[in-house]
Amino acid sequence: MEFLLPLFGRFHPLFVHLPIGILFFGVFLIFISGKEKNSFAAVIPFAFLVGTFFALLSGISGFLQYRYEGYSWETVQIHLILGWSTVATSAWLYFQFRKQPEIDNTLKIQSAGLLLLLMATGHFGGNITHGEDYLIEVLPPGLKASLGLEFEESKPLQLQEDNWEEVAFYEGAIQPILNYNCTSCHNPRNRKGELDLTTGKDLLSGGEDGKVLAHGDLANSSLFARLVLPKEDEEHMPPKEKRQPKKGEIELIKTWIESGASMEKTLGEAKVPRSLVSAFFVREEIPFYPETKLGKVPEDSISNIRERGFFIENISLASPLLRVSCLNFPDFQDQDWSYIDRVSSHITYLDLSETKASSKILESLQSLDNLTILKLNGLPLSGENLDLLINNHNLKILYLNSTNISIENLKLLDGHPSLEKVYAFKTPASSQEKVTLSFELETWDFMLPKLATDTIVY
Amino acid sequence: MNQLERLLTELSQQKLQNQTRRHFLMDCVTKMGGLAMVPLLFGCEPGNSRKPAGLNLSERDLNPLAPLPPPFAPKAKSIIYLHMAGAPSQLELFDYKPELVKLDGKDCPASLLEGRQFAFIRGVPSILGPQAKFAQHGESGAWVSDYLPHFSTVVDEVSFLKAVHTDQFNHGPAQLFMQTGSPRLGRPSIGSWVTYGLGTENQNLPGFVVLTSGGKTPDAGKSVWGSGFLPSVYQGVQCRSKGDPVLYLQDPEGMTRNMKKSVIEAINAANEESFKDFGDPETLARINQYEMAYRMQIEVPEVMNINDEPESIHELYGTKPGEESFANNCLLARKLVEKGVRFVQLYDWGWDTHGNAKEVSVDFGLRNKCRELDRPVTALLLDLKQRGLLEETLVVWGGEFGRTPMQENREGKVQGWKGRDHHGEAFTMWMAGGGIKKGASYGITDDFGFSGVDERVSVHDIHATILDRMGFNHEEFTYDFQGRPFRLTDVEGQLIQSILA
Repeated sequence: MEFLLPLFGRFHPLFVHLPIGILFFGVFLIFISGKEKNSFAAVIPFAFLVGTFFALLSGISGFLQYRYEGYSWETVQIHLILGWSTVATSAWLYFQFRKQPEIDNTLKIQSAGLLLLLMATGHFGGNITHGEDYLIEVLPPGLKASLGLEFEESKPLQLQEDNWEEVAFYEGAIQPILNYNCTSCHNPRNRKGELDLTTGKDLLSGGEDGKVLAHGDLANSSLFARLVLPKEDEEHMPPKEKRQPKKGEIELIKTWIESGASMEKTLGEAKVPRSLVSAFFVREEIPFYPETKLGKVPEDSISNIRERGFFIENISLASPLLRVSCLNFPDFQDQDWSYIDRVSSHITYLDLSETKASSKILESLQSLDNLTILKLNGLPLSGENLDLLINNHNLKILYLNSTNISIENLKLLDGHPSLEKVYAFKTPASSQEKVTLSFELETWDFMLPKLATDTIVY
Repeated sequence: MNQLERLLTELSQQKLQNQTRRHFLMDCVTKMGGLAMVPLLFGCEPGNSRKPAGLNLSERDLNPLAPLPPPFAPKAKSIIYLHMAGAPSQLELFDYKPELVKLDGKDCPASLLEGRQFAFIRGVPSILGPQAKFAQHGESGAWVSDYLPHFSTVVDEVSFLKAVHTDQFNHGPAQLFMQTGSPRLGRPSIGSWVTYGLGTENQNLPGFVVLTSGGKTPDAGKSVWGSGFLPSVYQGVQCRSKGDPVLYLQDPEGMTRNMKKSVIEAINAANEESFKDFGDPETLARINQYEMAYRMQIEVPEVMNINDEPESIHELYGTKPGEESFANNCLLARKLVEKGVRFVQLYDWGWDTHGNAKEVSVDFGLRNKCRELDRPVTALLLDLKQRGLLEETLVVWGGEFGRTPMQENREGKVQGWKGRDHHGEAFTMWMAGGGIKKGASYGITDDFGFSGVDERVSVHDIHATILDRMGFNHEEFTYDFQGRPFRLTDVEGQLIQSILA
């Protein structure tokens, strides 16, 4: 029958809610009772009696749970002391009221005190089961930071491609990874699990379970071991509901510990292979398409245009810019431009190749502020009015394959503010002598030489 | 609508004829049970909850091939994936290992064999030195052998991945793994994922076209371009370069296009009725395929016809119209991409050089295969480049695995010819075009070319990179099936940053 006591202990979570409700109710009655005729007078002591009884049950079951479930005294002490104080206070209030069933201010103050005690007990009990940050966790990060509850988040690790080998392994790589992934909880203010990871010194001194780092020994370095535990495991870090570190970040921590967890060595000295760090190189990516403040074109105007036969689509889900093509609309003529003129400022990729458009279409294209890629392959372009495109200050690539464009025409575009490349395959320009222009002119017409090996059968 | 009425009457009569008292009782049983099953089945319904944003469910279901924008601006608009079925030898083409020359004929060190499994090698095989002559080419100094004289002139367009690894060493599973991200059947191929995510641009052509050469389809069968658990409308459409491009697309004699149209309208109307009754998404796929087939009748023969290409282009590629050849397929790939096809998948069979016959030896058969590959592949890259299509087309080349640095010794016997066994630990692939660095090389193998030492790349990494260039984050591009979201890269895959332009 040894199981009875721990079983009774496990009823603690059930019992604790009863005194909370009943005593709260009792105090509530005291406060709403008027001074004169007191219709609740009979109920109030009863509420306190029942409340005290269940508080006692909670206290006993709680104590049993503390004894049998392996909670440390440090964890439960406040909750336990407060709990028994609640039992005592409510019993005392009960006898007090029995002796002198009169509701005066003293009683109100005393019962309010009981209420505070009750709430404090409940709160510290909740901390044990739900964790100390249960309430804080859901607050917005800004609020948390201003309340001093959270360390401000830092940026992910970044390394420079040209000098990464000289960067200190710990200070320059591991610490930034810890700052990004760990220090929001493990910092001097918060110190979850008594662990602070904001500096190398604090990291070495470890947390409540002792050292988190064993030089060169992965299995005994909980700093690493907890990262690779299954996410569902209670010991897994960071907690599964938080952002998880990237594989590359974990790999780097692993390599650091394996290489002896030196605080001084650089990445180069620790012989870290380039492939481990290449994912952290800073890439300055200049967006290919122009940045814009335009709003999105409403879906129904897009479907209207689509019904005319155009291919029209946003270049990406978030972008308001459009790609328009006449791939499915070979009969497109200059006057059909009126259908898409409405969205012209949104067009960034336009393909009018192999349609019935003429040179005149260039006039309509002038107003396309965001036009970046323009394909006019196979159009009967004479080329004299190519200079109209000089106003498209975002145009980067122009396709003029199989047109009548000559070098003279292309000179009209010389000095274009943004143009990078013009493709003029199978045009008069291909056979003309090359000139230097402000953009690259691609007029290759590749041929592969006939080699002996092309025909030898082995 | 006459046909429709007739079909529907026929259907209802058929139903009535089959209806007996027992059926009625049976119906009572199954339908009551069915009610209880509803919540169970609901969880299994394919992919309803997580369609890519942009179109709502019903629109996407009714028009599953309608174009959709990718999550972020793509670097590549289309993909040409050249799969060398059978697995070419990286040691004769790209991965130069001078150490192997010295070790040629010596016993393979035990350290390479311990705990490893090979498809055919048994006991202790001997090392086989490179059979080709290697030289560095281009400004990037890429090592390419004399088996590929044309290709070695365009290496500066290409990013080599020299330490790709796979965990499969048999053709079928390895091909499935390479194309679907799983060595087992049932997953959608890369092309299906892309078509599912982006739809098709050209409404008269499928978004995903497959061309095969080398006399055989890949060992893994048509599942390598299958749609797996995605609606089957996203599977690859196999086109032929010889005979009718798509089988059964031509009208039979006496059938005019108008008759065909009214037939298809009637069938589709009937199918729509059936969809209303049962809600099976496969019915929608069928409706769409009929419509697509009807539209394809005009466009496909046109785009699949290479006769109209100028002589210079035929010379460049080495094409001979009317043949089933890799060269023809390369030219077709360019034409299809030009016409807005998203994903062109080429399979060329015949790279399985075990050395058990002259045709499959690394010193004879492989050279013949290389001759068939060299000019067309080079021509494809150059042709895409001169038209400016390489800016927005991603070209991927590779087999399903690589080959061993050891001479194969099937059944413990010495082979009559020089040959190599299947090997997944390290092999070479390359990518070029849309958003890929020019003239880069990533991945280092050991002195034997046996395993990757640094910068190893997994099949999932390649998939992640392909999806990224098409505008998808591989970790967020999912499809709900059997109660959980699925990804092409499963739970793995990292972008190969070093080869991104």
